[in-house]
Amino acid sequence: MSALSKLANVDSRVFYWILFIALMVPFLSPIGFPITIAENTRDLYEGITDDEVEEGDVWIMNFGYGVSAWPECHPSVTVCTKALFREGAKIIFMGPHYDVELTYNKIHDTVRDDFVDKVYGEDYVFLGYITGGESAIAQLASNIRSVYPVDHFGTPLDELSMMQGVNTHEDIAGVLSSDTGDYGVHFMTQWQAAYGSKLAEIGIAMNGSTDLPRWQAGNYFGLSIGSRGGAELEILIGELGEATTAMDSISVSHLLLIFAVILGNIGMVVQRRSS
Amino acid sequence: MAYPTAALDVIGLWIGWVLMLMIYSYPLYKENPAFRTAEHMFIGVTLAITIITNFSNVMKMCVTPLMQGNILMIVPLVLGLMIFSMLIPEYQWVSRYPIGLLVGTAFGLGIRGTIKPNLQDAIIDTITAPTSGGAMAWLNFLYVAVGLICSIMYFMLTFEHKGMLKAPTRIGRLFIMVGLGAYFGNTVLFRFTMLTGRAQFFLQVLKLIPM
Repeated sequence: MSALSKLANVDSRVFYWILFIALMVPFLSPIGFPITIAENTRDLYEGITDDEVEEGDVWIMNFGYGVSAWPECHPSVTVCTKALFREGAKIIFMGPHYDVELTYNKIHDTVRDDFVDKVYGEDYVFLGYITGGESAIAQLASNIRSVYPVDHFGTPLDELSMMQGVNTHEDIAGVLSSDTGDYGVHFMTQWQAAYGSKLAEIGIAMNGSTDLPRWQAGNYFGLSIGSRGGAELEILIGELGEATTAMDSISVSHLLLIFAVILGNIGMVVQRRSS
Repeated sequence: MAYPTAALDVIGLWIGWVLMLMIYSYPLYKENPAFRTAEHMFIGVTLAITIITNFSNVMKMCVTPLMQGNILMIVPLVLGLMIFSMLIPEYQWVSRYPIGLLVGTAFGLGIRGTIKPNLQDAIIDTITAPTSGGAMAWLNFLYVAVGLICSIMYFMLTFEHKGMLKAPTRIGRLFIMVGLGAYFGNTVLFRFTMLTGRAQFFLQVLKLIPM
């Protein structure tokens, strides 16, 4: 039996073990692969900093991802929240996942220092869970109070000073939607396309190939793709965080997979020739 | 984020760690009672949270305003209840009305918002020649143009793919394969990122790396 035949018969669990262990090594001993900034990420960062944001602007931060996608989406959301707060913007947090409260608690933790001097109801609000898909997002553009009569904690929106006079897309300076699903697209079709609202997407790597043409076409003013986008944003804001830490591990996993694919293809070609 | 100090938080962290190992015991070892226990717990807890969240949402959005005198809120409540009629075979037809309303609304909204970004903007961006970026931008522009035209030609099924159509449709098929391959690759890499997150959590709970 040749070496390749032996490899072809190796239990797949061996690969899983190698992968799981290989992922941990860069956390214990960082490699420091270089990270370059993509144009789409730079556009996102520049769109939420300096002259692009005025003090008192109200932005929507949509948590369109659940706990399982925290490694992909949360680093970018963390940086964007920091950047907006530092420009004096006010933020409405919301999300279509049933575990949205956990993500809201997480952002409190990862942006802890910037929340210190912010007051709930004045500088930020948490509207909580939203259901209803595209219809709800469309309705949100014309009447926020019809979708959210109260915030997540049961306080009527009129009793929150930040929400005074904020009820339609015209009162919102921009939307940042971070998604594993379709909510970014709903904001694109029902806010950006319908009213020209400023919109950026913080997507997962899986949706990168579908999100990029939308950024190129100008539907998104900026785009962050997966953990890599998060790491790039961390570099741009000058505060390295969990995405930068995780990038080495992610790169190792990609290299391992590429190696496995090449090996598999060589094996297949050799087997074909011998048969 | 710092390592929790409160007893309940530490217990919660370790429960999460153990449950994660129970789930991973399936790919790393084989199907076993520990995996099934964690799997059933996960499904049960997820369902419970989903039901509670949605129930609370209906109460907040509909029932409370209705009790406060907003009589119009009876409409979504009744429509919602009508959907449950699909559980009774002889009254299943009742559920078609709210579903029809939902589908109609979704189509209407979809058409309103889809044409500009997904067709108009995409086509304009594709046929607009690059004004900056040099040779690489032009190469990319031509690559997209050839890929787009050939891929569309591949789906032109009115004529048999031979003669003049043979070469572009074959190129189109290659472009589609490359596109699907890239999409699948992105999907796999997204899962790997999630796995990376778990590997990080594994080490953080053991205090081998900072939380």
